[in-house]
Amino acid sequence: MGILPDGLFTLQGLWFLLAGVFLIGYSITDGFDLGSAFPMIFMKKEHDRIALYNSVAPVWDGNEVWLIAGGGMLFAAFPTVYAASFSGFYLAILLVLWALIGRAVAFEYRNKRESMAWRHTFDFIYWLGNVLPAILFGVAVGNAVVGVPIDKDAVYHGTFFTLLRPVPLAMGLVSFFMFAMHGAAYLLLKTQGSVFEMAKKYASISVVGYVISVILTNVLAMQEAPFLYKNYFTYPILFAIPLVMLVGVVLYVILLKSGKYDKVVYASGLVNAFTVLNVACASFPVLMRSSINPDYSLTVFNASSSTLTLTVMLIVTVIFMPIVIYYTRYAYKVFSGKVSGEKSYY
Amino acid sequence: MDLLDLSRFQFAFTAINHFIYVPLTLGLSVFIAIVKTIAYKTKDPKYDKLAMFLMKLFAVNFAAGVATGLTMEFEFGTNWFTYSKFVGDIFGAPLAIEGLMAFFLESTFIGIFLFGKDRISDGMHTFSAWMVALGSNLSALWILIANSWMQTPAGYKIVQTPQGIRAELTNFWEAVINHTTIIRFLHTVTAGQVTAGFFVMGVMAYFLLRNRNIDMAKAGLKVALIFTVIVSVAEIIVGDTAGQLVAKYQPLKFAMMEGKWKTEQPASLDVFGYVDQSAQKTYPFIQIPGLLSFLAYHNFDAKIYGIKDLITMYDQKAQNYANEANMLKAQYTSNPNPAIKDKIVADESYAKAYNISLKDLPSINLVFMPFHIMVGLGFFFAFVTLWGLYLYKKGTIYQNKAFLKTVLYSIPLPFIASELGWMTAEVGRQPWIVTSMLKTADAVSFNSTSNVMFSVFTFVTIYILLFYVYVTTMVKKVREYEYTEVAPSSSPSTGLGVGLAANRTDLNDSNRIS
Ligand code: HDD
Ligand code: HEM
Ligand code: HEM
Repeated sequence: MGILPDGLFTLQGLWFLLAGVFLIGYSITDGFDLGSAFPMIFMKKEHDRIALYNSVAPVWDGNEVWLIAGGGMLFAAFPTVYAASFSGFYLAILLVLWALIGRAVAFEYRNKRESMAWRHTFDFIYWLGNVLPAILFGVAVGNAVVGVPIDKDAVYHGTFFTLLRPVPLAMGLVSFFMFAMHGAAYLLLKTQGSVFEMAKKYASISVVGYVISVILTNVLAMQEAPFLYKNYFTYPILFAIPLVMLVGVVLYVILLKSGKYDKVVYASGLVNAFTVLNVACASFPVLMRSSINPDYSLTVFNASSSTLTLTVMLIVTVIFMPIVIYYTRYAYKVFSGKVSGEKSYY
Repeated sequence: MDLLDLSRFQFAFTAINHFIYVPLTLGLSVFIAIVKTIAYKTKDPKYDKLAMFLMKLFAVNFAAGVATGLTMEFEFGTNWFTYSKFVGDIFGAPLAIEGLMAFFLESTFIGIFLFGKDRISDGMHTFSAWMVALGSNLSALWILIANSWMQTPAGYKIVQTPQGIRAELTNFWEAVINHTTIIRFLHTVTAGQVTAGFFVMGVMAYFLLRNRNIDMAKAGLKVALIFTVIVSVAEIIVGDTAGQLVAKYQPLKFAMMEGKWKTEQPASLDVFGYVDQSAQKTYPFIQIPGLLSFLAYHNFDAKIYGIKDLITMYDQKAQNYANEANMLKAQYTSNPNPAIKDKIVADESYAKAYNISLKDLPSINLVFMPFHIMVGLGFFFAFVTLWGLYLYKKGTIYQNKAFLKTVLYSIPLPFIASELGWMTAEVGRQPWIVTSMLKTADAVSFNSTSNVMFSVFTFVTIYILLFYVYVTTMVKKVREYEYTEVAPSSSPSTGLGVGLAANRTDLNDSNRIS
């Protein structure tokens, strides 16, 4: 037995890591959009609201593609998991979908009329369109790792309410506050004036919320899902991951308190990445646990695509991922600098 | 409606809605890139303004395309569980590659093009336009690879996995190219260009009729006319080839498209008419002897199989596969060889898939009618553009009210032609979801009917609202557009990536999309 889990360095194991990369890519980039939108409904001034939109307007669509590409990757690499989770979590998934549709539409159509009623309707849709996915992603991942009633053909035997159990719900809170921390940090980087002042408070609140919800999740999980800790005790080196996560949180607080506002976002990025890694580690090699019979669980080994497909996809990813990262960085550079709420992009 | 019908309705409804917005994205991105390149080369502000104006319309359209496209990506998993499990090994890859290769490119560069004009050089701005065009066309390529594989599968084998049987990739390029990808890609992309061409001609005609933005409208109409003449003639040629491939690889779909119940040799072309499905008869209004044989095989005496004979043939095939599987099973007990087991699995699956009867067929009118109207529209588009070319040569095009009105009112027609083409392709593929491999009825998720009823209701509501907002916004933007000669003063921009420079904090007017 090595110091890292068996099978991590097989083709399937590699794909497990790549799935993690997509999740991290998504939570870091689209985390800007999700998290920066939470304060929307607490803002009274039109000027401030427009500043929120402007902070992400040129890049949000590219950010969302991480989700689309990630979904495609799941489909390609672990088709059974894609099929079982999307059809099993039917209403939850569609709720996320409708939220994202609303968000996309709000961006483009909000400023097409002067009427305040029109605009505030879209602001609310936009807010909901960010809050709902932020929570539901955590709930969905939580369910997959804690276990759901799937049979040997991977058919789901539950309802929407099966998903609302303590541990997954607590994980929903974790993801909400994780995105909140990240969004607050992004606003500190991109805004000025009253929005900037608000972002300072918002950052402090969300980091506290994050810590509390992580503790809560662990307290609950130790009782209800002790198997999630097995990997850590078998391979103690994995404890490095929660440790880095913790360092990220401390760093976030220090940067915030010492006024290095343009750097806070690095700390929240770190927290994002390592929160995702943490969940992945706890679950490996299981992608979706069966609560009916552990043998029905979908793992990277029994639910993956053929070697040929995984190899082809690996080659494609290795070539195109760096290109994508390269021009995404370019786009962020073109739009670097603070935004104002004077005029809307859209 | 039961679960299957609801799921089919939902998929059809959402796909049709997605494809309201897609053709314009496909074609307009290319057209804008061309106009922007002319502007870059000639430094003529007319063309630059035109490109910016069209890109703003493009952005409105793009947002709706993105919003509805998301649904498509999710829906395979939510509503077609068995399908996703069965084909994921092959079908998932193009979807993933589409995201990685195309959507990132398109979404990132559209942001740069729309909002970055004053922050990047003109060359880079032109480059961004081309990247948007490349991205949208690549996305069409990969989604059509996925779809064409469902229509005419290749490069796969059927195997047993712990969670049931599935198709596995054996040859990536064979699966990608399969039998029809290339022609279907060309046909769809060209359809997008026809759509964009008519859209731009129509908008410019509107300005000319209203006597507004004359300079830009004349220039725009000219470029759009030349563009559309080429693509609408090309579309007929490509469409003809597409039809030949259907005849060769999907004879049942072909028979439904042409409304042929009985095998004919030579086969006549039945132009317009209707199909009486219960009586198993087609009543054509115009019939041209031998022409269908010629169109399908370039031979006036070729044989075209009818629906009834094809069903009998498929039934025979199903029998053969079932017999084969039974024989192999007997063999397997004495010699448990894994290769034989795979063959049994495959044969049983084919036996099930080919086992179809007349009552499994879709509404044949839904294949026959859309197909003929699409073809009719295709000839109409070519005719209108050639008329325009004639007027242009005569020099009277900008004053000819009849022509200007025709193109203005023709704006919706290419959209309709595309939808009809898809109905032909998708309904014509029934009763299979993957031709000769998996029936649509076996592909659906084990959802509760009430869940799907709820989602159908929500989608219908959201999409109708979206369509309303989309149309009114587009119309408003065109109505309100004023072409001004003087460029609005833009604040000087500092170098890239400098960060907090004060003059970068305000967005100036030309950045504004309103
Ligand atoms: C502006 C749109 C447009 C126009 C003018 C035409 N088509 Fe089309 N057609 C499409 C838009 C389209 C499409 C939306 O792009 C489809 C749907 C599926 C596909 O691959 O392309 C299509 C499908 C399609 C198919 C079915 C392919 C399949 O089932 O795989 C055939 C045989 C044709 N077309 C043939 C024609 C012919 C002979 C035309 C001659 C005038 C024509 N089309 C004009
Ligand atoms: C965007 C253009 C498209 C339109 C307008 C369209 C239209 C339709 C329609 C009308 C149906 C219902 C057929 C029936 O149930 O009788 C259908 C079904 C379906 N189509 Fe498409 N389609 C499009 C593109 C695609 C593509 C690109 C794919 C795959 C990549 C696809 C996959 C399917 C699937 C899986 C079904 C459901 C099962 C079935 O009923 O066959 N479609 N589509
Ligand atoms: C039925 C299967 C389909 C799926 C799963 C699908 C998926 C998607 C998704 C997820 C998006 C959003 C992309 C973004 O955020 O940038 C999108 C947009 C787009 N899709 Fe589809 N699509 C389907 C059918 C088609 C077809 C048949 C075509 C072309 C022939 C097409 C071409 C496009 C294009 C060009 C866009 C860009 C955005 C726009 O439409 O304005 N799609 N699609």
